[in-house]
This record gives sequence, structure tokens and C-alpha cells, in this order.
Amino acid sequence: MSKRFVIDLLKWLAIFAVLMVLLFPIFWIIASSLKARGEFFTRPPVWVPANPEWLNYPDSLRRGGMKGLIDSFTIAFFSMAISLVLGAPAAYAIARFQVGKKNLAFWILSIRMFPPIATILPLFVIFRFVGLVDSYAGLVLCYTVFNLPFAIWILKGFIEELPKEIEEAAKVDGATRFQIFRNIALPLTAPGLVVVALFTFIFAWNDFAYAVIFSGSNVTPLPVVIAQFAGGHEILWGQISAIALIAILPALVLATFLQKYLTRGLTMGAVK
Amino acid sequence: MVGPAVALLFLMTIGPLLFSLVVSFTNLQFSTPQPMRWVGLDNYLTLLFNDSRFLTALGRTLGFVLAGVAVQTLFGYFIAWLLLHVNRFRAFVLGPILIPSVISSVVAGWQGRMIFNASYGPLNDVLAHLGIKGPAWLALPQTALLSVFITDTWQWTPFLALVILAALQSQPQELLEAARLDGAHGWSMFRRITLPLVLPVAGVGILLRGVDLFKTFDLVYILTQGGPGNSSETLTFLTYLQGFKFFNPSYASAMSFIQLLLVTIMAKSYLGLVNRRGAH
Repeated sequence: MSKRFVIDLLKWLAIFAVLMVLLFPIFWIIASSLKARGEFFTRPPVWVPANPEWLNYPDSLRRGGMKGLIDSFTIAFFSMAISLVLGAPAAYAIARFQVGKKNLAFWILSIRMFPPIATILPLFVIFRFVGLVDSYAGLVLCYTVFNLPFAIWILKGFIEELPKEIEEAAKVDGATRFQIFRNIALPLTAPGLVVVALFTFIFAWNDFAYAVIFSGSNVTPLPVVIAQFAGGHEILWGQISAIALIAILPALVLATFLQKYLTRGLTMGAVK
Repeated sequence: MVGPAVALLFLMTIGPLLFSLVVSFTNLQFSTPQPMRWVGLDNYLTLLFNDSRFLTALGRTLGFVLAGVAVQTLFGYFIAWLLLHVNRFRAFVLGPILIPSVISSVVAGWQGRMIFNASYGPLNDVLAHLGIKGPAWLALPQTALLSVFITDTWQWTPFLALVILAALQSQPQELLEAARLDGAHGWSMFRRITLPLVLPVAGVGILLRGVDLFKTFDLVYILTQGGPGNSSETLTFLTYLQGFKFFNPSYASAMSFIQLLLVTIMAKSYLGLVNRRGAH
């Protein structure tokens, strides 16, 4: 065996070990979601359930999981939609007409840095006053506050990469600024729009800090449902694992299909 | 075209912040019906000189941030280095590696609850096979914060690996080749060529990680609720308790402003550092 072959083999073994460590908790959730009640209290623990208990899934949905799914979907969808509708024109203006370039950029980035708790407190007092606590609109507003800067920032990056010539030609032909934006720039930014749509959806879908404070009996996003389950008197291990697995499905879609853009999305476009 | 976006953001960030700044100078409380009074810097002075619980949480959080950034960057670098040297199948491996970083922290916390379970969890089972008696991870003051730390490291090391991989890939090959011809290798190559090239690119990712570690809340909430005792209480979790469990919004506001200040200083000094190193 050549030396090179041995080194390659060692590297692949290391990668395999890393994968095992990183994916083990996911495997454990899948296994747990299929265990029967008794299989959670054995020593040594059951690694692969003997007879898959599929009923954990419908049961978890019936106990509040379905409501959580619908609420999370509604909130994440509207926050995504608003971020795109308000974010795209703003990004276009910043990229093409240098509107408030420097300050705006810094401000947008600092919103990402904010400890949420700093805005949650005053927002809670204000929301209580105007009746937005425990409402869909309240949470959509909260998420849009951190999704919108993200959308503007990422889309600005995508628009800056477009060649200016087409837009200039359209201008010569007498198109208005808004027509150029809508008919030329926007379709060309389609990949950027998809990236922003998926990421803003996931951010809102995954969030817990805002959700736990602004939810109530009317609105219960999925992470709050899971946390309530997990903090209850009687912990339903199988059902919680089932709903937790459902909760990570959108993220799995993201990791699989948008791999190319993951770095960009996760670093606010700082690394392409 | 920027108008609607800016208006919304302004209304939802600067507005509430000003409001909370004002509140932090008062003695507003929800639990007692005392009249609201202007108390000046009292809340801040109490926090900084008289509140050992706050100061302990502050120290704990800073240690958590430093250790987290160091360990996750190191592991991230290792994974990135491994991936850099395997060209084929890299895309195939990258997706699964990144799963932890895109899932909800609540789910990560729930996994931790099962895995760290003292009696029935797989971690202590594996340790038992190795002849080690695993501790009651989440129930002991010595290991509760460590469990949060391990969970956070599990979740976010892939993110740093991805960023560092991108940075390593962006190194100009000619420069590496030239340095090698000039006799640079091993440590000197890393310190003089790789590090200055990688740091500015990866720096942004590391900064984001530092800021997010400073804000750790979800995992503490799900895994330990700050306990046992106050042993795993981070700054944001304590602020949450003050604001929403002890109904002390004025005090909590002062606390959150101190955090805002710290995050800003951290981010600014870090960016300065990265820019200086990158310029060389």
C-alpha cells in the first residue's frame, strides 16, 4: 500500500467518525419516535425499537402537534412573504442607487447582532398594550424584524452581481425605474429570492425566544409545543420525538437542496 | 423603495429600544403596585456593584463565549481541513454534516435531554461500556453548563466548518505554491500564509458565532432552566427571569442594555482585530 492511500483512508475514517457523532442525535430521535412507552425505561437503553410504534405520530399531532404545525407554518409563511415584498425593492434601491449605503448597511447588520431579549422586553409591554400578545400578527411582526434585514442584505448581494447593461438598455428604451425593477431585475434575481424565501421561512420556523414569550393559548408555534411537552409532568418521550422529527423536516430540505447557498445564507452573505 | 422597509424596522427596533432605555432609569415593576418613579442610574449601579447573581452570570457567559468560540473554531477547522482534502463526494458529505446547524435549537435541546439522561440515556450507556460511570449530566451543578456547551458545540461546529472551508478554498493557489517554493511549510506556512488569508473571510462567521453564544437562551431553557441552583444561568436567561418571571421590567431593561453594550464592544473590537490581521 502506498503512503498516500493510507493517509486518504485515515481521512475518510475521520470523516466517517465526524458524521457518526453529528448524526447520532438525529438517529436517536428517529429511533425514539418509534419506541413504545416501556422501551424508554430500560438499562441498557433500546437502540433500535423491536416493533416500531407508529402511533406516536398521530398521537403527537392530536395532542397539539397539528395546531403547532399549522401555527408555525402560518407565521413563517407570512413573515417570509412580507420580507420578500418589502425587502426586494429596498435591496434594489440600495444596490443600484446607493441609498444611504453606509449607515443603512451598518444598521441592518447590527439588528442581526441584537440580543433578542433587549427588544423582547419593550415589545412585550407595547404588544400587551395594543393587544398583539398571543396573536399571529405579533409573531409575524417580530420575525419580520430580523428576516427583513437579512432579506435586504442577501438580495443586495445578488443584485450587485447582475450586469447593469440590460437595465441601462431598458432605461434608454424608456422604461421606468419600477418597470426595470419588476420586469428585469426581479426575474434575474430568482435564485436569490428562493434562497431568501427558504432561509426566512426556516428562521421563523425554528425560533424559540420570541415564540415562547409572545405565544399563549391562541397561538402555539411548534417549538413552544415541544418545550411545553418536554416540561410537562408526564413526559411523553415517543410523542415528543415524533413531533420533533416533523419539526426538522423543512431544515432537512434546506440542507439538501440549497447546499450551494448555505454559507451565504448562514453568514448573512459575508462569505460566498 | 427603501421607505416601507426602513419604516417598519425603525418602528420595531429603535422605538422599543428607546422605550426600554427610559424604563431602565425607573423602578417600574409589575408585581407591586408602587407608583413608577425616576431612579436615575440606580438599576445600573445595583447590577454592577451589588448583584452577585448578575455578575456571576456575566462571568459565566463570557467564559462560555470564549470557550465556545475556541473549541468550535478548532473542531470546525479540523472538519474543514478533512473536507478540503477529499474532492470527490465532498458535496455528498457536506449536506449531512450541516444538518445540526439548520435544525431548531429546541429540537437540539430535546435530543440533549434524551442523550444526557443519567439512567436511560445512550451517552452514559456508552461510557459504561468503556468502564466509566457517567454523571447525572443535567442534574449536577458541575456538568449542567457543560451539557449545554456540548449541545451547542454539536449544533454549531458544522456551521464554522462550512465557513472555514469556504475561506480555505478562497486562498489563491499561486500564493501557496510560491510560499512552498520559498521553503515555507508546516507551522510557518499556517501562521504567515494561511491564517492571514483565512481570518478575514472566516472572521465574520466566528464573530456571528461569538455573538450568538453570548445570546444563548434556548438551550438553557430546554436543558436546564438555568439550574441546578443557578449553575447554568446565562445572561440572557437571567434577563428573561427578571423580566418575565420576577416581573421586574426596569431592572431587566438595564440588564439588557449592559448586554447590548457588551455585544457592540465585542463586535467592534473583533472587527478591528480581523481587519488589522488581514491587512498584513
